[in-house]
Amino acid sequence: MLLDVKNMSLSLKRAGKYSPILEDLSFQVKQGETLGIVGESGCGKSMTALSLMQLLPDKARLTGEVDLQGELISVYSKRRLEKIRGNQMSMIFQDPLTSLNPLQTIGTQIEESLILHTKKSKEERRSRVLQLLKAVGLPRAEELIDEYPHQLSGGMRQRVMIAIAMACEPQLLICDEPTTALDVTIQAQILELMNEIKQQTNMGIIMITHDMGVVAEVCDRVLVMYAGKIVEEAPVIELFQNPKHPYTQGLLASIPKLGERKKKLGSILGTVPTPGSMPVGCRFADRCPHVMDVCRNVTPAMIRIKEDHQTACWLYDEKEGTANGSAGSKQLETAFHH
Amino acid sequence: MALLEVSNLKQHFTTKKGFLGEKTIVKAVDGVSITIEEGKTLGVVGESGCGKSSLGRSILRLVEPTEGSIKFEGEEIVGMSAKRLKELRKEMQIVFQDPYASLNPRRTVRQILEAPLIIHGVGDKRERKELIENLSGKIGLRKEQLSNYPHEFSGGQRQRIGIARALALNPKLIIADEPVSALDVSVQSQVLNLMLELQQEMNLSYMFISHDLSVVQHISDKVAVMYLGKVVEIADVGKVYDTPMHPYTQALLSALPVPDPTRIRSRIILQGDLPSPSNPPSGCTFHTRCPMATKECAEIVPPLEEKAPGHFAACIHV
Repeated sequence: MLLDVKNMSLSLKRAGKYSPILEDLSFQVKQGETLGIVGESGCGKSMTALSLMQLLPDKARLTGEVDLQGELISVYSKRRLEKIRGNQMSMIFQDPLTSLNPLQTIGTQIEESLILHTKKSKEERRSRVLQLLKAVGLPRAEELIDEYPHQLSGGMRQRVMIAIAMACEPQLLICDEPTTALDVTIQAQILELMNEIKQQTNMGIIMITHDMGVVAEVCDRVLVMYAGKIVEEAPVIELFQNPKHPYTQGLLASIPKLGERKKKLGSILGTVPTPGSMPVGCRFADRCPHVMDVCRNVTPAMIRIKEDHQTACWLYDEKEGTANGSAGSKQLETAFHH
Repeated sequence: MALLEVSNLKQHFTTKKGFLGEKTIVKAVDGVSITIEEGKTLGVVGESGCGKSSLGRSILRLVEPTEGSIKFEGEEIVGMSAKRLKELRKEMQIVFQDPYASLNPRRTVRQILEAPLIIHGVGDKRERKELIENLSGKIGLRKEQLSNYPHEFSGGQRQRIGIARALALNPKLIIADEPVSALDVSVQSQVLNLMLELQQEMNLSYMFISHDLSVVQHISDKVAVMYLGKVVEIADVGKVYDTPMHPYTQALLSALPVPDPTRIRSRIILQGDLPSPSNPPSGCTFHTRCPMATKECAEIVPPLEEKAPGHFAACIHV
């Protein structure tokens, strides 16, 4: 196993008291696998990435175990973490403009992690940087290496970000909405590049996105998050064809699909609860069309419906994987379309 | 007669490079002709910098068009007197992208919705109150919520308030500039549903501007695809999406990530970036990225022609 996360929870201090941001996340990433983390704004998907990297504000309370290739990095000191970040695990952020230093050349910024993590000589580093620039599909690498971020377009900047992240050939790459700020034709280029890199390197990728289209195109397995918790986990095809959690079903039903024009879309009524005022029991209960008494009182645990398909919902039973209560699964699947 | 008829509209902006630098002209909209029929939706789609927002603003004369003609119910808007324009603006309204920035944070929802009514002298105080309450019902807002301020609402609710404000004067045409781009998908679907319902109920016409191909497809009757200030393809939504003609439309559609993991993708990956609108390529502006480009493409500006019944495209190879 490349990455093994057990019971990770995060609280942040706000207005003098700690409020829970992430609760009890457990998941794994295998070598060569792309794990998608999907959910809407405020569900905690970006905080999950930052927690894995331990790039958190000072007053954050992070608990649980994070195991990267047999090393329990969740107990590492800042110093030891620095040896891992950018080396064994790297991250690509959403906005390439604000994540690059405007005062340094592209070459200097890619070189930085080579200086930190390798014993390469100056010449070796330069040739590695040029090699990286070519690998991410950037033209005229020889000139680009001495240019500044403002001279590049958005798509090119994101390629530079990928080059930085790839500099030390990490085992795990965390991508936080890497194509959200880009136009659709540029997004296609970047997704294509990421697929190529994945095939060449066999690294594990965590792809954080709100876009179900991106999930379908690049992910092998998917976690669906809602209000700081994982509500469903399944292989990508299974998730799209057989979504179990009412939130996942609602999310999929609300996407406009090609070929279906002017049809009424599904939607999820109400709003996401805020970190300070999480309801007791299932956090989706107030917006769920199948809510039962138990949902408002007891938090549903993750249960295994199939070998590789889990969900946290009172509608299902561990053994049979069939629906509980009054709502049959047929009813469930169609409920959002009416 | 079409409700809105735009012909050869140009919107050029002059910018200066540096403090004393040379003046350059950015042709944000460069000879666009479109029509919108009553009760129908024209979707305008394209990537950043293609001029789709400038087109919307230019039509409402929020910026003065450089050249061309805009006819609303047969009446020419370009060069119209300010007084007549104000009257006409009752009929054509706009919904903006960012529901956080387009509502005044210091006004209650009631004040926000009342503003257009006061400006255009509609009704007395009591009539206005009734109108506003009726309006808030349409967008699913409770009466009590009218005295709340914008920050007390979620993004989706705010966008619905933006829509209600646009509807206050009972317009015929609404220009919606990326109205759902800032919203999460489950909230986006609520706003799209609302817009479709209102269209049926009030026989509204929409010009729906968006970069999101699947959203445009969902709501539009007719679609115009823009690239660097020009319409490269325009036809009924089915024609554009099922049988796209222009190589740019084809690439755009093939680049769209589709939420279906079993679909086999055949992607046309466009090389390079969008050229800057201040320095567009010669001939067909798309030739620098076009997989079908030939030598002529760099020289000839392709006219928008009817290539099949009701299906217009601007490409010499189609």
